[in-house]
Amino acid sequence: MNRTDDEREREGTQAGRLWTVLSEGGTRLVALGGRARRLTRREVKDIVFKLLVALMVLIVVTPFFLLLARLLSVGLQDLVGSGPGQGWELIATLPGAALRGGVLNAIVGTTVLVLVATAVGVPLSVMGAVYINEYSRPGRVRTAIEFGADVLAGIPSIVFGAFGFTFLVAYLGLGLGALTGGLTLAFMMIPTVMRTTQEALKQVPSSLREASLALGATKWATTWRVTVRAALPGIVTGILLAVGRVMGETAPLIFTTGNNLGLPTGLVGPESWVASLPFTIWSYIMDPRPYLQVRAHSAALVLLMMVLIVDILANYASRRLTRRIV
Amino acid sequence: MYEYRIEVKDLNTWFGEKHVLKNITCYFEDNSVTAIMGPSGCGKSTLLRSINRLNDLIPGFRLTGQIFFAGSNIYDPDRNVYELRKRIGMVFQRPNPFPMSIRENLTFGPRLHGIKDEDELERIVEDSLRKAALWDEVRDQLDSPAVHLSGGQQQRLCIARALSVDPPVLLMDEPVSALDPISAGKIEDLIVQLKKEYTIILVTHNVQQAFRVSDQAAFLYMGELVEFDKTKRIAVAPEDPRTEAFITGRIG
Ligand SMILES: Nc1ncnc2c1ncn2[C@@H]1O[C@H](COP(=O)(O)OP(=O)(O)OP(=O)(O)O)[C@@H](O)[C@H]1O
Ligand SMILES: [Mg+2]
Repeated sequence: MNRTDDEREREGTQAGRLWTVLSEGGTRLVALGGRARRLTRREVKDIVFKLLVALMVLIVVTPFFLLLARLLSVGLQDLVGSGPGQGWELIATLPGAALRGGVLNAIVGTTVLVLVATAVGVPLSVMGAVYINEYSRPGRVRTAIEFGADVLAGIPSIVFGAFGFTFLVAYLGLGLGALTGGLTLAFMMIPTVMRTTQEALKQVPSSLREASLALGATKWATTWRVTVRAALPGIVTGILLAVGRVMGETAPLIFTTGNNLGLPTGLVGPESWVASLPFTIWSYIMDPRPYLQVRAHSAALVLLMMVLIVDILANYASRRLTRRIV
Repeated sequence: MYEYRIEVKDLNTWFGEKHVLKNITCYFEDNSVTAIMGPSGCGKSTLLRSINRLNDLIPGFRLTGQIFFAGSNIYDPDRNVYELRKRIGMVFQRPNPFPMSIRENLTFGPRLHGIKDEDELERIVEDSLRKAALWDEVRDQLDSPAVHLSGGQQQRLCIARALSVDPPVLLMDEPVSALDPISAGKIEDLIVQLKKEYTIILVTHNVQQAFRVSDQAAFLYMGELVEFDKTKRIAVAPEDPRTEAFITGRIG
């Protein structure tokens, strides 16, 4: 038998490999050091590559944890304390005199803005995507729209703020407030939601559409009852990711929402001016009063939690939907 | 003319400039299986999909000639294509159940056509599954997702789904070619069962399968109908040398 060195080498490492598998993680390095001659090149490469990837992941996630640590180290006193605007009061009371109270105005404001943005942006983008994908012929118009949406999705949010101001506030005369701010956020959502919806629709095999048509379904019924339904988990995930993103936007709101230390009582006009969490965090952090510095950090924690809740909902909803239909 | 017999007359089709079917004239008998055989790309699927007008949706598709179903031309301009497709069921090469529950797969078609009564729908679900020889295997899991079934079960579900709107004609485009031999055998048996009630047109690559299940056979070669007769006759003594070459495995 003419066995190559490599074969013999590989056999020799069977036990070694088992051992490596059993002692996961850090001990890999020891294995690498102690048995370097027994490991094949391929295995060494594998280990080096894995370490490299782990390092990358560490680099990617570190800023988030540093940020969280910073927010907690400053903001936690607001969450657990019992002074004015602390503990439950943080999320249940308005700022009040000298802004010593909570940030209820901003929580409500962000919720209202996101609801307006979703109510306007989602139907438009989903129907747009359905039209482009299911009804329009592939060609220049479709390519142009897709390209446009991709460009829009990459435009800095301050530009959307400026557009909201010049178009909605100045040109259409809507004034500042919840509707204007919500619409501006909707403009930001539309390109992303449209593209994610399109991607989800593209994943639906055309044989499903054909099966439906072959049963005598109209194009309309096929689109909504089969295609969109099959794509729903992907569509929902896209929507909720976009919601999570616009939730944290400050720039589009600076020129469009005004501000409010109380709650808005309308959708347009001066009584519709709203606060929002990002805007509030920004203005508190610019304020020299120490307790507002702290409040900015705790408000940021509140915003993080709201985004987290949307994220959990996103996961839950798309898993429920996936289980129901796939 | 017979009530449901399908007749194809001088059929020519094009995809863009490409002339795919050339002067096809043939008919499909009631309550029997007609196999359409031929090498890859010869136009089998195109012929099948012309019968339920599924090709209409493809940009650049053009057709001349006539196809009669129950005595009237399905390409008449004022023909209701949805009603036509309801009466001509189709099963595809790859199992393609909707991403819904087994039950919903079977109520989808009937609901489209206006059946709302739950008892009636329930009856259709059971009937279709029984006809597709799937009832015993799935009766306890009607509400679980259809895509959790095995490939063979999925294909039988697709047959049941086609039967759910009660069509007299069933078009099958290589229905077993994506399945393992055991599942394929089950579906072949099923086809033989179903022909008692349905007019079945079966596209197949597989000569042995065509001989096993079909009563008539059509042999297509590069868009032309080369031979069309009783399967028995073609199996024993093919007239055209191209047919012989195909069934002996020299082309295809
Ligand atoms: N959507 C389409 N657009 C353009 N050409 C098409 C289209 N569908 C089929 N064709 C062409 O028509 C010809 C016949 O195709 P068809 O699918 O009917 O063949 P087939 O006999 O079913 O082959 P197979 O055994 O591989 O399924 C082929 O040459 C194919 O390239
Ligand atoms: Mg084919």
